[in-house]
Amino acid sequence: MATEVLMPRQGQSVESCIIIEWSVNEGDVVTAGQALCEVETDKATFEVEATAAGTVLGIFYPADSDVEVLKPIAVIGEPGEDISALRPADESSDEKPETGKVKPEEKPVVQEAPVSSFTSQVSNSSAGVSPRAKNLAAEKNLDPTTLAGTGPNGRVIERDVAAAQAVTPAAAAKAAAEGLTIPAEGSGMGGRVVAADLMSVAPEAVGEVVASMDFPGNATEIPVKGVRKVVAGRMMASLQNTAQLTLNTSADARSILGYRSKCKNAPEEAGVGGISINDVVLYATVKTLGEFSELNAHMLGTKIVEFDNVHLGFAVDTPRGLMVPVIRYANLMTLKQLSAEAKRLAMACIEGTIDPDALSGGTFTVTNLGAMGIESFTPVLNAPEVGILGVCNIQPKSVMNKDGGADFVPHMGLSLTFDHAAADGAPAARFLASMRIKLAAFELTLAG
Amino acid sequence: MPKTQDICPEESRKAGEVTFTPIPINQYKSDYKKEEKKYGKERLVKMYYDMLMIREFETMLNEIKVQGSYEGMEYNHPGPAHLSIGQEAAAVGQSVHLDTDDYIFGSHRSHGEIMAKCLSAISKLDDDKLNTIMEDFFDGATLNVVKDGSHETVKDLAEDFILYGTLAEIFARETGINKGLGGSMHAFFIPFGSMPNNALVGGSCDISVGSAMNKLINRKPGIVIANIGDASMGCGPVYEGIWMAAMDQYVELWDKEFGHPPVMINIMNNQYGMGGQTVGETMSYKFAARIGAGVNPDQMHAERVDGYNPLAVADATERKKQILIDGKGPVLLDIITYRMSGHSPSDASSYRSKEEMEAWEAADCVRSFGEYLVSNGAITEADAEAMKATVVAKVSKAMKLSIDESVSPYSDINLIEKVMYSNGKVEKFDDREPELLEKLEDNARVKKLKRKQRYAYDADGKPYKANQLYTYRDGIFEAMAHRFTTDPTMIAYGEENRDWGGAFACYNGLTELLPYHRLFNSPISEGAIVGTACGYALSGGRVCAELMYCDFMGRAGDEIFNQISKWQSMSAGILKMPLVLRVSVGNKYGAQHSQDWTAMVNHIPGLKVYYPATTNDAKGMLNLALAGTDPVIFFESQKTYGVGELFEKGGVPEGYFETEEGEPAVRTQGKDLTLVTLGPVLYSGMKVVDEMKEKYGMDVELIDLRFVNPLNYDKIVESVKKTGRIVLASDSVERGSCLHNIAANITNLCFDYLDAPPVVIGAKNWISPAAEMETDYFPQGSWIIDAVHERIVPLPGHVVEHNYTNGEMQRIARLGV
Repeated sequence: MATEVLMPRQGQSVESCIIIEWSVNEGDVVTAGQALCEVETDKATFEVEATAAGTVLGIFYPADSDVEVLKPIAVIGEPGEDISALRPADESSDEKPETGKVKPEEKPVVQEAPVSSFTSQVSNSSAGVSPRAKNLAAEKNLDPTTLAGTGPNGRVIERDVAAAQAVTPAAAAKAAAEGLTIPAEGSGMGGRVVAADLMSVAPEAVGEVVASMDFPGNATEIPVKGVRKVVAGRMMASLQNTAQLTLNTSADARSILGYRSKCKNAPEEAGVGGISINDVVLYATVKTLGEFSELNAHMLGTKIVEFDNVHLGFAVDTPRGLMVPVIRYANLMTLKQLSAEAKRLAMACIEGTIDPDALSGGTFTVTNLGAMGIESFTPVLNAPEVGILGVCNIQPKSVMNKDGGADFVPHMGLSLTFDHAAADGAPAARFLASMRIKLAAFELTLAG
Repeated sequence: MPKTQDICPEESRKAGEVTFTPIPINQYKSDYKKEEKKYGKERLVKMYYDMLMIREFETMLNEIKVQGSYEGMEYNHPGPAHLSIGQEAAAVGQSVHLDTDDYIFGSHRSHGEIMAKCLSAISKLDDDKLNTIMEDFFDGATLNVVKDGSHETVKDLAEDFILYGTLAEIFARETGINKGLGGSMHAFFIPFGSMPNNALVGGSCDISVGSAMNKLINRKPGIVIANIGDASMGCGPVYEGIWMAAMDQYVELWDKEFGHPPVMINIMNNQYGMGGQTVGETMSYKFAARIGAGVNPDQMHAERVDGYNPLAVADATERKKQILIDGKGPVLLDIITYRMSGHSPSDASSYRSKEEMEAWEAADCVRSFGEYLVSNGAITEADAEAMKATVVAKVSKAMKLSIDESVSPYSDINLIEKVMYSNGKVEKFDDREPELLEKLEDNARVKKLKRKQRYAYDADGKPYKANQLYTYRDGIFEAMAHRFTTDPTMIAYGEENRDWGGAFACYNGLTELLPYHRLFNSPISEGAIVGTACGYALSGGRVCAELMYCDFMGRAGDEIFNQISKWQSMSAGILKMPLVLRVSVGNKYGAQHSQDWTAMVNHIPGLKVYYPATTNDAKGMLNLALAGTDPVIFFESQKTYGVGELFEKGGVPEGYFETEEGEPAVRTQGKDLTLVTLGPVLYSGMKVVDEMKEKYGMDVELIDLRFVNPLNYDKIVESVKKTGRIVLASDSVERGSCLHNIAANITNLCFDYLDAPPVVIGAKNWISPAAEMETDYFPQGSWIIDAVHERIVPLPGHVVEHNYTNGEMQRIARLGV
């Protein structure tokens, strides 16, 4: 009895998911729980697991298809079972599913037209590549068909691949053209010899050599898909559809640095050791937003929605790309609670276990590049949100003291982008002013 | 060639004549009063009842085949039904004086004989014994179908049991007497003395002789009857079996207690063989009984008997049985009968006249015996009618149950795999003390072997001289001696086993150790050597037969391919086949004495195929074969009989040990090439290992296959995964070599690891030439290296002697050479 594999519903708000990549092919034998494909919602990626053990009888959608949740995407059963009744009506029919991580030796089976005459098949003297040689070539990241075979009738056999150095085609061509010796080991991936390794030329001749080289040399194509595709779309839409501009300022950071150091030195049982500068900024932002509801809002074209509560998005850099989890009801939280929730969400994003529902519904976003030494920047709005606060690094700023001299006071840069279509410059500037005060006297902010 | 029997020229060349005594023909005289006195009225009536039952049983089968129904029950039986309608009196008369210890083997036309023998046994056995037999048989599976509480007597139940069990067997049902795996032509039921029936014409003759040898040698009660047709007298193995049964040595050389094997060759002379009429067309004897006159001075006590009178057959069988019990067999009976049904229901009888058939119908044996009983007042017409009604009811019931899938499911196809081999290990088939002429430790050869070197090299690695070595043939001897001294049923024979000690000296010393009845010479009758061994083994005894040259297996084709290989599975595991057939692969003797035929037996399901190449394995593998319960074709190469043990540094163990079944042996380890050898090519392979290392720096992993079937591929797969290259070599001709089978499997199991397709090396696809030319015929080490160079990995600087190119492969295939 064949078992359908449904596109899972990843969170209440998710209506469809995009299949990023299949890791199995039709005909593969799978165990229950084995990953079949990777799918993504608008912000997170997940693996869909086999719901039963058996043979993959059908894969209904190729990679990159956007499939409604709870629709069958594949069928597992016994070979030979009729699965026609299980095929969805909209099964993509124009193209064969682009299945799996295709290793060189596992190219999808292509039904070739029958060879018309027997002799044309056997008289071919090219003996090809032995299976063993193919496997070794794959291991060494070599194209065995470029090698001169020394097996019977020129078959490429294991020893040919073993003897071949891993050399990029460009380097091989260059070495052949110029009679250069290929070094034993190169500087490329896994010791691959790349063209640059052959540059045993005098500095004054570099121009000539470069001119002789293939241009632009090796490049890697990366398809825009998954989180990248989502981010790309959103960023472009944000810039095209909003009237965003950025205001820069900086805030006296002595108070927050002092508070952070107190937390760090506090006894363990206080449980405040994990509170970071970012948590402090998030907390101050929430408090400030309480005063500026025009920035805690969505601009929806024909209407502006101002929220009573703050659902604070914050940007997290993950291996899959940018993610923005949302701390819901941040305005109801203490600093300690806020810190813990931010940590939990960030970790879930990094580990890929984030609930997709936690990636939407923000009313304002904070993005922090301070740790990477950025002094000021222009954050891009997470539309339809009206504001996004960029947090920059802390650096000393000369401040005139009472004596007319200058003190070097650590300041934290703040860059607020807002949608001028929804809010004006004055309230935005006042927001930043309020932020400065709250950060400059953070313990008062906590008390208030 | 016993030295006790001199052949004198004077005697041999003396003038004289051979005289014959007249052979009786149909001499039985009916005398009802005497008959009633002898048998009692009840027994006479029972004979008629049994004949009616058989007639009805086969009428039912005929109607199913011809009309698709019987008594209103529809059924399609696609399998065979070779009927013996017209032969009932012969079958019933024969069984009258037989006990359950008396065995009958039969032919493809033996439903009637099974019924007659079983119905007779039922009438003789007491109720307790009958109940035990039925309850024990397949744990009551057959009995439970018929036991419905309707039977007033145990005998009545037993009749239904055998009717149903036989019919269910014919219809391939799990509840049949051989679980449906034997079918119409092979069914049998040992507890009632009905032994395997054989679909090969005459196939039962030598098997019956072997079964009688088992009774004789193991002093078991009873006689054995081979029921074969008149046309089977055209089959060579039938004559071979007769010679095996009639050999002079039983009385001239064996201990006086023995005499001849108690076997009766009983020709059910139904006048036809397929479409040929034996008398007047395809044969020349006129009276089949005449054949007995050519066999021995007793003329096999041959007689022709009127098989249309059951009492004539009973009388003859009773008299001949006594002759057999007295050790004065074998006996030949020519029972005249007539096949009223055709060869099979599809036979239109176009080869005989209507008048002929009508004449025999007018003399119908069932009706005429009924009339005989009525006319003598044993029964009334009404009694006869009532008996007829009873048998119709019984046969109908058997059919109703047999075609009902809810109680008679078809046999499980997966059962066959389970019964292809019995895979048993039996130390001995009887508990009596093995009979020996001397103690093993007093045996001259045993003493001599104590002085031999059981490993071929001394402590310094220097080889011992040939006459100091314990050799391969000594390994064979020790394994044989062990089993002879362990299993009292173990016997061995062949054409030169006694006195000579085997053509290759493996059995030297056994003549002194064993009495005649355990080791003897046979006629040059390869068919019967294997056929009698088959009968001996399936009757419960261990046997090692020997054919001297592998090439002679051709003479025993049916016995190897259809008999010893099939009976374990055709009997659903009831029969065991503890039989080892030693064959030696020759050389130097030309085209009919130099062939490795492992491929032939590899192809036959049901055989195990061993081929030891080393001295240690000669002993370990023969020990294994002689402890098992399956038929083993045991190949030995004449090239290796004189080799010492080169591999086991501890030497060949003096005590008992067995080689693990199906496991190849890795002789040298290597990483660059896997070389699999079968048989003596191992020794050429060792030279290849050295040469590849010295000349080309390649490490060869040399694997000695040892077993062709069963075979565990693990070690070969592991090796090929490592080396990526494999050559397989044997002395068998290349085309159809069993190594191609292994190569194909390795390609499947290791495809992604292979650097080149596996290469199979064999002898040329020609006749093997004279000794002087053999190096151009049998694979040489250099051929293996040539093949590696041309087909797997070109070797720098190698110059080939032998052509292994694709073009050559296609050329020789195109020409069939």
